[in-house]
Order: sequence, then structure tokens, then C-alpha cells
Amino acid sequence: MNQRQPKIVSALKHLLLMGFSFVFLFPFIWMFLGIFKTNNEIWQQPYKLLPENYPVREALEAAVNLGFENYILNSFIVGILGTLLMLVVVTLFTYALVFVRGRYSEALFYLVLGTYMLPSAVTYVPSYIILANMNLLDTLTGLILSNLPNVFAVFYLRQSFKKTSIEYIEAAKIDGASHRRILWHVVLPLNKSALYTVFVLTFVQQYNNYMWPSIMINSQEKYLISQGLRQFFIQDGAYGMNWSEVMLASTIAIVPVVIVFLLGQKWFITGITEDSGLK
Amino acid sequence: MKKETMKRFWMMSPFLATLGLFWIIPLILGLLISFTDWDYISPNFNWVGLYNYRDIVTDPDFTGALVNTVVFGVGTILPTIALGLGFAILFKNKFKGSRLYQMAIFSPWITPAVAVALVWSWIYEPDRGYGNFLLEFLGLEPIGWLHSSDTAMLGIIIFTVWKSVGWTMLFYIGALERVPVSAYEAATLDGCNAWQRFYHITLPLISPTTYFLMIINLIQTIQVYDQIQIMTQGGPGGSTTTLLYLYYEKAFQNFQMGSANAVAVVILVIILGLSVLSTRVSQRFVHYE
Repeated sequence: MNQRQPKIVSALKHLLLMGFSFVFLFPFIWMFLGIFKTNNEIWQQPYKLLPENYPVREALEAAVNLGFENYILNSFIVGILGTLLMLVVVTLFTYALVFVRGRYSEALFYLVLGTYMLPSAVTYVPSYIILANMNLLDTLTGLILSNLPNVFAVFYLRQSFKKTSIEYIEAAKIDGASHRRILWHVVLPLNKSALYTVFVLTFVQQYNNYMWPSIMINSQEKYLISQGLRQFFIQDGAYGMNWSEVMLASTIAIVPVVIVFLLGQKWFITGITEDSGLK
Repeated sequence: MKKETMKRFWMMSPFLATLGLFWIIPLILGLLISFTDWDYISPNFNWVGLYNYRDIVTDPDFTGALVNTVVFGVGTILPTIALGLGFAILFKNKFKGSRLYQMAIFSPWITPAVAVALVWSWIYEPDRGYGNFLLEFLGLEPIGWLHSSDTAMLGIIIFTVWKSVGWTMLFYIGALERVPVSAYEAATLDGCNAWQRFYHITLPLISPTTYFLMIINLIQTIQVYDQIQIMTQGGPGGSTTTLLYLYYEKAFQNFQMGSANAVAVVILVIILGLSVLSTRVSQRFVHYE
């Protein structure tokens, strides 16, 4: 099967994929170029992809005036702190599940996996009441805490941990290494790619999270980026919308998560395609 | 031996505690609330038995939302799986630039729905939007997109497929790479053409991934909220109100907690039912090595 494809087939494939890539990227391209367009330019027909002028300085000033720093900061706090804390909790659990096996470990895993089958959204009303009773409503702490039980992360890390050669663990145990040392020096280094993958995935989800935060967070200074962006649009109303500002705000919301994704993509895409061996 | 049990307990307890607090207890509470007439504001409530369930099944809003959810689910999951597999096949055998194309197709998945929904609302604008421009270019009639109850769901479906197909594609790329080359070689020797190889070898060997993706997409699709809230708010005329959106409206706009949680329980039962059904089907069609 490894024979080289004929040049023409390869060229066609590239052409096809370029077309698809353009379709998938088009909304982003339009969004970015829209920053520099006037409302008339955005709605004019026939469409022009490129704007007449590039008022970069005005765009930068407008970006500063949006006041999105706070939303982005909140999204990063929840995305980074929340995800790191989640990884600690889930790694400990999964380590115990895979390497400190007891009679009920397998049953426990399937029980936990069973909860993944359930849509978390149906727990929103009771979770809201529980957070209210803990005085954690309208706090980022409450948001981070309620995102800790990440069953997908357990599922994904377990797949990866199970491939860790058991001989290393046994050898370390014979040498008298504690669980902490085995976890830190053997299991974590060998599962780096899975850990990165889960980190980037969870970060992206937390950063973008919209429904649950907009239910449990009310104070504007605690909004995550999606909520802040939404608020911004509502203020202007559908008709008075200044499209170049809308495009600017959307672009600013997207840039941080794109940067994190680009930094992590080497781990991330290979991670999903290679470790996700489903048996 | 006992020491190990204690250690295991300590390592597992943080996760299990939060799982209990934000998953298991809420599930039980949700079920209990569905048998009450609680309105969230007053501290008192009455047990009303199955009243909420009887009430919602006769409510046209609920049956409408149920139909919308099925339309949305089928309309999203089938194209996502088919396109995801199609893209993955194009990426078979790594080649120069394949990573860049993969990132382009995956990029919508990582971006906040709120941000991209705005550009899409321009694409869907009935008078001067890009969608109708394309339709007219292809010689088709322009449509009302999100402004018409006939086509609003189509608009949400296209957006959702665009946003989520990259995720499915990545899993399929991995699955295709794990199909042993020897299987194809044997089939080629037996005189199978490309289509026969795909149908008799690739499809059966990647069926565990297909099964997994069906379930994952099912769970994710049933929970879609962001784009509906931003682009249509369930309208026009309730045509994009899914069960989850109905749950949200009942619980957090009308404070009908009992009724809302009855909808939640129905969502749960549907997912459980479909999961069991697809496991049954998978036992016939999914090939594990």
C-alpha cells in the first residue's frame, strides 16, 4: 500500500483539501478582515474579501477600549487553574484505579464511566442549589470546583496509563519506591502526551464554557469571555451593531485560545490520533 | 493489605467526593425535584407525584422540542460521522501539509461558539448574507435561514457540523492508522477493488471507533445550547427549541423547577435508551479483535 500515489492524484487531493480548509476557515478570515471594514463595506454586494483601508491604529485603540481583559483573565483562571487542579484530582484517582487495584476497581471504573453517558446539563438545577448552600454561587471557585469531576479525563488517562509497562512499576515497588515517587517519576513522565492532550482539551472547553457559567455567575466582573462577549452584543442591540467592533471583539475572544491550541497542537493532534486506541 | 486499601481510598477520595457532590447527588435531587411543584423562590413545595410528567407529555411545547431534538440529533450526527470519516480517509498516509489541513478543519472546534456565531449570523442574513449569495450563485432559491421556522434548524445543524466535525475526524484518523496494512495487501491479492476494500475491511475494522463516536456525538448533540441561545433563542416559533433548551427555559427563566427536572429525566432516559440500543446493535456489527 505504500506505493507512491501518482502526482495527479496527489495534486487533486491537495486542491480538494485546500478547498475544504478555505470553507472551514472562511468565517475566521471574514471575521478578521471585518475589523477593518465599515458597515457599508461589510454588507456591500458583490462581496469584497479585502477591506479598502487598514486602520490598524484605530483597531488597536478600540481593542483597548473594549475592556475584555477582565473576561479573558477570568477565562484563563478557570481554564488554567481549574484544569491543573482537575488533572491532580483525576490523575490520583486514575493512578489508584489502574495501579493500586482492588477487588472493586473495575466495577468502580464502569460506574464512573456510566456517569459520562449522562448529559451534565441535567444536573444544573441541583448543582446550582448545592453551590448556593455552600455559598459558592457567583464565584470562580464554585465554577472550578464543579468542573473537577471530569469523567472524560479519567477515561482518557486510564487508556494511556494501562499501556504503561507494568514492569517499571513492579521494579520501582521492589526498590521500595512510594506511590508518590512512582507516580511522579514513572507514571507521569511516561504519559506526558496524554496529560498534555487532556490539558489542552479541558482548557479549551473551560475557556469557552458558556451555559453553566452564565447560569451560576451573575456579577459582570466575574464573567468568562463567552458571557462577556454576549453581554457586549446585547448592549448594542441587533440593529445598532457596529460590525467592525463586533468582529474585533470576536477576534479578541478567539486569539488566546488559538494561541494555546497552536502551542499544544503538536501534542494534541498526535495525542488524539495515537493514544485514543479504543478497545 | 489494609494499608494499600487506605492509600487507595485517599487517592480516590478527592475525585469521588466532587463526583458525588456535583454529579450523583444532583442526579438524585433532580429526580426528586421532578416529583414536586417547587418554584425555586418559595421554600415550600408539594409532592405532586407524576403530575409534571403527565403535564409535559400533553404539552405541545414538549412534544415539539422532542421532535426538534430528534431532527437535530439525526441531522447533526450522521453528517458529522460521514464527513469526519471522509476527511480522515483523505488524510490516510501522512503527506506534506496534512497537519495544516487537519488544523484548519479542526479549528472551529476550539473557538467559542459565541464568537463564531456572530459571523454565522451574517452568513445567514436573508437579504444580503453570504449563504443566500451562494445559493443564488448555484442557481437555487434564497431561503430565510434563521428567520424562518422551516429553515432555522437547518442553519443550526450546518453550524454545529462545521464546528464539531474536526473532532470526529481526529478520532477516525487514529482508527484508520491502526488498520493493519497486511489486511489490505491480502485483499488486494484476492482481487478486491478500492470500494470493496473499504466496505469489507476498513469499515468493519474501524467499527469500534464508529460506535464510540456515535455515543459521544449523541451525548454532545443532545447538550447543544450555546449556538441555539445565541443565534435563535429557540425560535422562530419554537422551531429550534430542543429538549435541553426547554429545560433551560423552564428552570432558569420560568422557575418551574419540577417541570424542568421532569424534562431532564426524560433526556436522561432517552440517552440511556439509545446507549443500550446502540450497544445491542454494536454487538451485531462492531468487530473487536
